[in-house]
Amino acid sequence: MPLSEHPLSPQPAVEIDHVSYTYPARGFDVLPVPAIENVHFTIDQSTKLGILGPNGGGKSTLIKLILGIIKPTTGTIRVFGQAPAQARQNGLIGYLPQRIEADRSCPISIEQVVGLARACHTKPWKKLTQGDQAAIDRAIELVDLQALATHPIGALSGGQLQRVMIARAIANNPKLLVLDEPTVGVDIAGQQRFGQLIETLHKELDLTVIVVSHDMRAIAAVADRVACLSRSLHFHAAPDGLTPAVLAQVFAHDVAGVFGDIHIDAHLADGCDDPSHAHQHQHDCGCDEKGAES
Amino acid sequence: MNDFAPAIIAALVISLMGGALSVFVVLKRLAFIGQGISHAAFGGVGIALVLGVYSSTMMGAIGQLGIVVAFSILAALWIAALTRTHHGRADTAIGVVLSASMALGFVLFTVAESGHAHDETGAAEHQDGHHLIEEILFGNILDTDWPRASIAIVVAIVILAIVWFIRRRLLFWAFDEPVVDAFGLSAKGLTNLFLVLLALAIVMAMQIAGVVLAAAMLVLPGAAALNLSARLKPVFMYSILIAVGGAALGMFIGIERSYPIGPTIVLTQSVMYLVTLAAKFTPGRSS
Repeated sequence: MPLSEHPLSPQPAVEIDHVSYTYPARGFDVLPVPAIENVHFTIDQSTKLGILGPNGGGKSTLIKLILGIIKPTTGTIRVFGQAPAQARQNGLIGYLPQRIEADRSCPISIEQVVGLARACHTKPWKKLTQGDQAAIDRAIELVDLQALATHPIGALSGGQLQRVMIARAIANNPKLLVLDEPTVGVDIAGQQRFGQLIETLHKELDLTVIVVSHDMRAIAAVADRVACLSRSLHFHAAPDGLTPAVLAQVFAHDVAGVFGDIHIDAHLADGCDDPSHAHQHQHDCGCDEKGAES
Repeated sequence: MNDFAPAIIAALVISLMGGALSVFVVLKRLAFIGQGISHAAFGGVGIALVLGVYSSTMMGAIGQLGIVVAFSILAALWIAALTRTHHGRADTAIGVVLSASMALGFVLFTVAESGHAHDETGAAEHQDGHHLIEEILFGNILDTDWPRASIAIVVAIVILAIVWFIRRRLLFWAFDEPVVDAFGLSAKGLTNLFLVLLALAIVMAMQIAGVVLAAAMLVLPGAAALNLSARLKPVFMYSILIAVGGAALGMFIGIERSYPIGPTIVLTQSVMYLVTLAAKFTPGRSS
């Protein structure tokens, strides 16, 4: 039974029920690779959850599962009570990709990029309505690009292009926003600006936000709760901060050497090297976790 | 000149279609997939010949077209599937499908010829082998009559209509394929659909420019147009203008000077591309 911070909230944003995913064998010599194992937690609506984990820890797999692009090998996932693929089809999930692989030589404007996302949920033969146009304008306004709306995307800076991608992600008024390694290679000031932008969207659109990263700072800039994923979900409920010992367990190497003396707000990260913490402090966290022991 | 009317109209409509598709081909870097498909069509012609389906009669022409279209579509989907197994890299897939189909085509040509050497009626219908191969490799649009031209025109218009119909989805796919699935569309579905349209378009363009040069008509106009503008509507407008203008000018020069039409059109469009390249790098030009 998921415990939730808001007992009266009608429905969790995401329910992940004992989910495992194993990439299938390929050829004669690539064995099946388990990516995540027995992950079990619930994300309440309107929370901003950070999922921290090392490269190869299963973060991208978890995102694909939540988006419904792949199906769990075992277990089930519900997004707002729907199968993930259904929720995605219904425009409930907004997605910001890890790397912007969009073709910058493509001859389109910011407005058109956002409009194309809007059109994904319109019948192809139907024109975009005034309502669609209003949604497009609002999304562009929320990322503060209205002055450039008709500009070709080829002329934008990297930061501006990312804001276009955020506008595209919210074009269909999603209820869940999934951010995949959003601030890789961005300096701290940039990460903080990104965090402020996501905070604005979170408030304006009442979004549930999931941010996935290997970078503690990227998580800190956005999330107000943290879970750690390294094949299995380790912990995310303790008031004492995410200690180096805990991080070392997740990243499987000396964390101090990597993170230095990074300051972590106590409310933000939850050290859970002792799984019992998870149970003690479930109420501190928007997400209930039961896969810790696995 | 009147004899050429069906050829000219068919060539202009096919070029118009090429102009619209080529923008997507260039954005999605499908130029060599186009080459792969067009060369694969050669295998389809070989199969048609072995089956005794010749383009010397109307029914034969339709039958041959059907077989070549089917073979090209299979080749396109095969390239797409192989590309996926090679982690999105198309070069190996094209290398395999192009070579295998060309080799199959040449072997089947020989099989068909030796088969008909012993067959009096078949030999009478059979066109001269070398002439036929040349026609398939480089095209022979001027021989087109009204019935054949009508087929090409109808197919070209159907392709244009489908592209117009799903233009926003195609554009999304062309702009950012890796996220297409996350937005509720199917990247695989859109890729396969576009490659099927491309295969059909290439078989139509083959009638003008043959196996070797058909893909050029589905690359050059878009590549040229993208040198001229960074905005959607102008790019498509320029692309179609360059495609149709290049085809008209190429045909005019070809007919006047008795040059082979397909290569002359491709050459004309290539010169236009070079001119746009010069325009792109002219200082002081605003995009």
